[in-house]
Amino acid sequence: MAVDRRGFLKFVAGVSAGVMVTPIPWKLLDDASIWTQNWPWIPSNVDGATSYVSTVSKLCPSCVGMKVRLVGDRPVRILPDENHPLSKGGISPLAVAEAQMLYSPARVKRPLKRAADGAYVAISWEEADALLAEKLGAAKGSIACVSGDETGSINEVLSSLAVQAGSGNFYLMPTEAQPAAKALAAMGGKGQLGYDIENSDYVLAIGANVLETWGPVISTRAAYKAARPHGEDPAVQFVFAGPVQNSTAAGADQWVPIKAGTEGVFALGIAHLLIKAGATADAADFSAFKSLAEAYTPAKVAEITGTNADQLKAVAAALLKARTPLVVCGSDFGQGTGAGTVMAGIAVNMLLGGLNRKGGLKLLPVAEPVVSSAMSRAEMMDKDFVSYMSRINAGKEKAPKAMVFYEANPAYALPQATKMSEVLGQVSFKVTFTTFLDETAMLCDLVLPVPMGLERLDDVATPYGYGQALYCLARPVAPMPASVKPAGDYIVALAGKLGCSLGVSSWEEVLQAKAKAMDADWDSLMDGNVFTSDATVSANLSFAADLLAKSVNVKAQEGNFAVAPVFKLGIGTAKTAIPPYNNKLIRRWELQGNELYVAMNGATARKLGVMMHDKIVISNKSGSINARVNIFEGIMNDTITVLMGLGHTAFDQFSKGKGENVMQLLTVGFEAGTGLSVWNMAGVTISKA
Amino acid sequence: MQAKEFKVKWGMAIDIDKCTGCGACMVACQAENNLSPIEDASNKIKVMNWLVVYELSNKKPFPEHDVAYLPRPCQQCGTPPCVSVCPVIATDKNEEGGIVSQIYPRCIGCRYCMAACPYHARYFNWLDPVWPEGMEKALTPDVSVRPRGVVEKCSFCHHRFMMAKDKAIVEGRDPEALADGEYVTSCTEACPNGAIVFGDLNNPDHQVYELARSKYASRLLERLHADTQVYYISRREWVRRQLDNYLDNEKVKG
Repeated sequence: MAVDRRGFLKFVAGVSAGVMVTPIPWKLLDDASIWTQNWPWIPSNVDGATSYVSTVSKLCPSCVGMKVRLVGDRPVRILPDENHPLSKGGISPLAVAEAQMLYSPARVKRPLKRAADGAYVAISWEEADALLAEKLGAAKGSIACVSGDETGSINEVLSSLAVQAGSGNFYLMPTEAQPAAKALAAMGGKGQLGYDIENSDYVLAIGANVLETWGPVISTRAAYKAARPHGEDPAVQFVFAGPVQNSTAAGADQWVPIKAGTEGVFALGIAHLLIKAGATADAADFSAFKSLAEAYTPAKVAEITGTNADQLKAVAAALLKARTPLVVCGSDFGQGTGAGTVMAGIAVNMLLGGLNRKGGLKLLPVAEPVVSSAMSRAEMMDKDFVSYMSRINAGKEKAPKAMVFYEANPAYALPQATKMSEVLGQVSFKVTFTTFLDETAMLCDLVLPVPMGLERLDDVATPYGYGQALYCLARPVAPMPASVKPAGDYIVALAGKLGCSLGVSSWEEVLQAKAKAMDADWDSLMDGNVFTSDATVSANLSFAADLLAKSVNVKAQEGNFAVAPVFKLGIGTAKTAIPPYNNKLIRRWELQGNELYVAMNGATARKLGVMMHDKIVISNKSGSINARVNIFEGIMNDTITVLMGLGHTAFDQFSKGKGENVMQLLTVGFEAGTGLSVWNMAGVTISKA
Repeated sequence: MQAKEFKVKWGMAIDIDKCTGCGACMVACQAENNLSPIEDASNKIKVMNWLVVYELSNKKPFPEHDVAYLPRPCQQCGTPPCVSVCPVIATDKNEEGGIVSQIYPRCIGCRYCMAACPYHARYFNWLDPVWPEGMEKALTPDVSVRPRGVVEKCSFCHHRFMMAKDKAIVEGRDPEALADGEYVTSCTEACPNGAIVFGDLNNPDHQVYELARSKYASRLLERLHADTQVYYISRREWVRRQLDNYLDNEKVKG
């Protein structure tokens, strides 16, 4: 049959109309689109009943209060807790990822032992118990304990173990709390420093990164939030003095650039101007302090700190004008500062009449230890871990036979990290209680997995910087993995096996005793409530002018450039590394692939003859790192900023091998007068790669 | 094009002066909306982020330099450029509340919407979403996981809107007259600085109503007339100036 042109066209038209009318192609397309989006390897949602539990974060150094959303028994979201004084409706970028961190690939899932060939082999808890009892038994009298938990009662158990079965060497990982405690003790104060930011109308943060990493930052930010209605003039002024326009400077009304390590001098410059304006304080050595401050004229302070004398004068004038001014001195990267810096800050608060005053600097009561032979908080704060490691390195002190680490990662987080790892190598047996396979775990002979804060019963007692005495519990809200054991009970039992008498038989008993010592009600705490107290310790502080004069002196730095580490809570800590969701917070020109970018201002770049993206080598006697250049104008001249939290050699694919660890460049020095180890000034030389 | 009007119009007023760039909103958004983590997050082309915090600079040298941070969710345009270009109507602005929808099973991944969006608020799934083993247990039951090959974007946590409406209906209240704060996005809730205020732009009882009318409030690329539902507030003129392409001699609001 011949098909003519007309017939062909009719056929085509018929087919077209048929295709349009029949649902088959559309159904197939629809099926195809559904099928191609229902791939079995894409996870599906699992429904369940939603419930909420209030607790506190043991993961985030801000100790933020939080509400955990559970679906069935699975924690799925970490939400702010309006009713918790350490949250007040806010959450930190680190704690908000805590539910996901439960499934971090870096989690240690079972006890691990280092085999003869250096590899780790999984062992049972029975084997681990036997090995631990044998090794610690043999090392009795020479055991040191190191804790990375600043606020928990676990420190009492560990310090009691160190006192009774060891050489009395219990150390906390360095934070801002130790120099603050040392400063307060030197000035004759008791208790713990608390800053009532919530009730202050002018907050001057000298170095202290109060809106990012310093102290209970989420509670500080709640005060910041309350004082600044949208688009209106702020009710409270925030001023930040530091080398970098960091998060605090970004939120502050004024940024006063000062060189890293000169915070104390800046504070004395303020003191000079306040005294000149008639400020005084009821302290025996006021006249000695007055003569010390006399020397810190605006011109001299400007020369040392690199600031502008007029800006200094304006800040002093504003402090005098404010009703409840408050000065917070600290480190812009959360560690390494000297006691002198904090002392100078306390001195300014004394001149402003801010001691134990609403919106001022408070001396908060500290509960006595509840575990027999445990160190008091003051004794713990007096122990300087970096100094101990330095003494071992110098051969001035014998390395302990055994070291017990609890949620501490000194192999990554201490200054001169590689050197510190070498010193740890001198310790013949090392055991770590850890959640994650961190750099320190990779050096240990035995790695014991402990539950995360969401899976265990734990406590938080007055985090450093908070303006009230506080006590609350972290309650277990998620089921604990099968082969993980809570460290509290385990260490209590271990201490018993080593012949220590703790006076308590279980971890819960420790916490109950602690609650009682704090005057808190246990049942109420277990319901998720928080105990706070307005009590203060009476203060009759001296200026410790002689000590201050020595400790505040700024030493000449190595090289022509200074390093200012930048600590962002969202990028994680040494204990957590970078949480899987949080590497997206790293900015484009902070890290590219595995390559680190460091920032400097245009003038510094011109001085070095480098441009954006150029490769450079930053080095000093402690170490050397390779990086590329980013230009950011919010940095002082001759200063480079390096993001902290990078350069991990352990953990998981989200952290390992990314960038470089700035701690390699931070050289340990010792503060004149107090002898405290300090690393807030790192001088470097920079060359083109 | 005339913006479609709704009785309820959900919107934000973000105070740039209060944002310190911590990123809590970005992480909260990912956890709430089941975005997957990525090993190399420095590859910004392939990173999925419904909300990004941008860094702004006044471009002056030290010491006159100033910095600001701008959180950028989907702007939920009144006349959304992404909607008109979608060949399969996978995105639409039709529901009371004025949220621009994104229907993942309908999306064919052509990415016209991404090209049309002036705010870079849309993201294409170049890769399969992969969670480390076990982490899928922390997925919320509220938002489905999107596969490779589709475009996604901020939905103003639409599931929270649905839940708030359901709650109102169960309690016998009008679901279109939710009280201020009854429905907020995850980023709003997380921000420790309170930089984000969320609410009904048409309801004088909601805080955002007044804030959107502040002399310091303006919108991103306002002169494109996309009529966005996200307002930015800053007392700093240089910040407001950067929200659109102003000439040096042009004046900005406020």
